[in-house]
Amino acid sequence: MILETQNLTKQFDGKGGFKDVNISIDSGMVFGFLGPNGAGKSTFVKTMVGLLHPTSGFGWINGFSIGTIESKRQIGFLPENFKYYDWMTGKELMKFHAELYKMKNPYKKIEELLDLVKLKGHENKKIKNYSKGMQQRIGLAIALLNDPEVIFLDEPTSALDPVGRIDVREIIKRLKDDGKTVFLNSHLLSEVEMVCDEVAIINHGHVIAEGKLENLLSKNTYVEMVISDYDSELIEKISKLAYDIVFKDGKLTFKIKDKDSIPEIAKIVVDSGAKLYQLNSKTSSLEDLFINIVGKDEDVC
Amino acid sequence: MLTITKYTIKEMIKKRAFLLIAILTVGYLFIYGYGLSLAFHSSNSFTGNVPDIGKILLESQLLSAGLYFSNFIVAFLIVLTSVGAVSGDVESGAIYALLYKPLKRYGYVLGKFIGLGIIITVYSTLLFLSVIGLNIAFGTKVYLELGNILRALFFFDLGPVVLLSLVIASSSIMSTVNTGVLAVMTYGIAMIGGILEQMGSFSTDATSQGLSNVGIITSLILPTDVIFRKMNAELLTQNTGLSFLAQGPFGGTSQPSPYMFVYIAFYICFLLYYGARKFEKRDL
Ligand SMILES: Nc1ncnc2c1ncn2[C@@H]1O[C@H](COP(=O)(O)OP(=O)(O)OP(=O)(O)O)[C@@H](O)[C@H]1O
Ligand SMILES: [Mg+2]
Repeated sequence: MILETQNLTKQFDGKGGFKDVNISIDSGMVFGFLGPNGAGKSTFVKTMVGLLHPTSGFGWINGFSIGTIESKRQIGFLPENFKYYDWMTGKELMKFHAELYKMKNPYKKIEELLDLVKLKGHENKKIKNYSKGMQQRIGLAIALLNDPEVIFLDEPTSALDPVGRIDVREIIKRLKDDGKTVFLNSHLLSEVEMVCDEVAIINHGHVIAEGKLENLLSKNTYVEMVISDYDSELIEKISKLAYDIVFKDGKLTFKIKDKDSIPEIAKIVVDSGAKLYQLNSKTSSLEDLFINIVGKDEDVC
Repeated sequence: MLTITKYTIKEMIKKRAFLLIAILTVGYLFIYGYGLSLAFHSSNSFTGNVPDIGKILLESQLLSAGLYFSNFIVAFLIVLTSVGAVSGDVESGAIYALLYKPLKRYGYVLGKFIGLGIIITVYSTLLFLSVIGLNIAFGTKVYLELGNILRALFFFDLGPVVLLSLVIASSSIMSTVNTGVLAVMTYGIAMIGGILEQMGSFSTDATSQGLSNVGIITSLILPTDVIFRKMNAELLTQNTGLSFLAQGPFGGTSQPSPYMFVYIAFYICFLLYYGARKFEKRDL
């Protein structure tokens, strides 16, 4: 486990923040942390990088307790409200941050990163004169300066144009290929769906779903069948493998827990002598899942 | 820590705040010099071998006044440049990108203190030497020995460092605005306390004791005024025993006790320690 928390809690005078979060992430994963506004995503990340002191619980990064200098050596961080000393030029800013890491000869790395975030040609401009998106790009470059094992990105594409978003996606994929772990805060679900291996959904400070993206999504596989000449015995057999069964206008729709039950159900239908005209299966998008889970959570509250 | 120091100094230079300050300082020195030239050459009829005591007194007062206002300018400069030293970064959010790094928070606070301390000390030293230089250039009759000047310079620079430690500590704990208010208020209180204490030393009755108690309390809150008086005394008290030169509205007879200086050393260390510690514990 490169990142692990145990009942990690951060609250502000008993309110807000997040509570009893237990997460563990394997190294090399891209982890998506999702949740509506004010759910506690940024608070969680700021606690992991040592800017906030946890109220209770524990957290480790690569085995080092969060907030310690050792754990800070492992990480890179792009804050949500990124702001950098604006009287420096892009290159000076990078050099300043490299000096904070006591890097001996950072110039090659700086060039490489400026290239990666496509700021070549702007490096001698003052940060003050950078656009918001350019500032976010340089923030990303700074987050990668020390070759961190774990990179926390808090809504890294909030200020970026569509091309910039694709760039960031590519960068995340490259980091993953290099064996790095990426912790991505986002509410852009399509983005998360494209790059993340694992996700957790947080609402009102509580993690309400967590797991591999494919598992979470396949939990919600819808199947739609058009059949005729069936009997109630068949429906009963299907209901053992499926749930939320609805029968309407000759169409049978239900959800299944496991994709492997699709052929099984088809076989049952055919064997029973009923006629199967059509079979569609569709896994819900992350958006469906999110709305579903967060929506249900709202009902409870 | 030293990286923070280096870039704090760089920032001051880059932002050209110092260019403006330098221009205004030259203006101030020019007006002061003009004042000196008028005062020193007004009563030239007395040109004799024996310098007349009244004239020396006047000239020593002019010297003290020049240093007093210079000291005031330095204090003003500290408030302007340093109230946001830490709080400014917190308020803008620039702190996030710095303190997730393997950088000790107290190192960041001390780095800022040292950086600003160097700038302020350089400025304060230049200002002090300019004022002394102008007085010498215009032929002051006040005898200024090198030893006196250097000892006085030490105290002239010590005052700003004390104020800076208060400002940095406050900036690590509170907002920029609150730090500004605190700095100006305490500096004002120290100044008024110093004046009251001087007034107390002129009278002899019970009020005198009360006034000097007020002075002692205010100099415990912020010992800048005490240090200034010490500086004045160091500069003007001479081997010849002409200590009365140090008197007047900008100087004073009541000399701070040696314990005061133990207190001052403790004061600086405690404020920086307290500020850094509070900052360590803070949620950013
Ligand atoms: N410094 C603070 N003091 C008090 N409450 C806070 C503080 N910071 C955050 N909160 C509260 O904690 C909760 C979580 O905030 P957080 O910024 O982590 O949300 P988020 O999930 O990042 O939201 P967004 O998607 O809008 O960025 C909110 O209810 C917020 O009001
Ligand atoms: Mg957020």
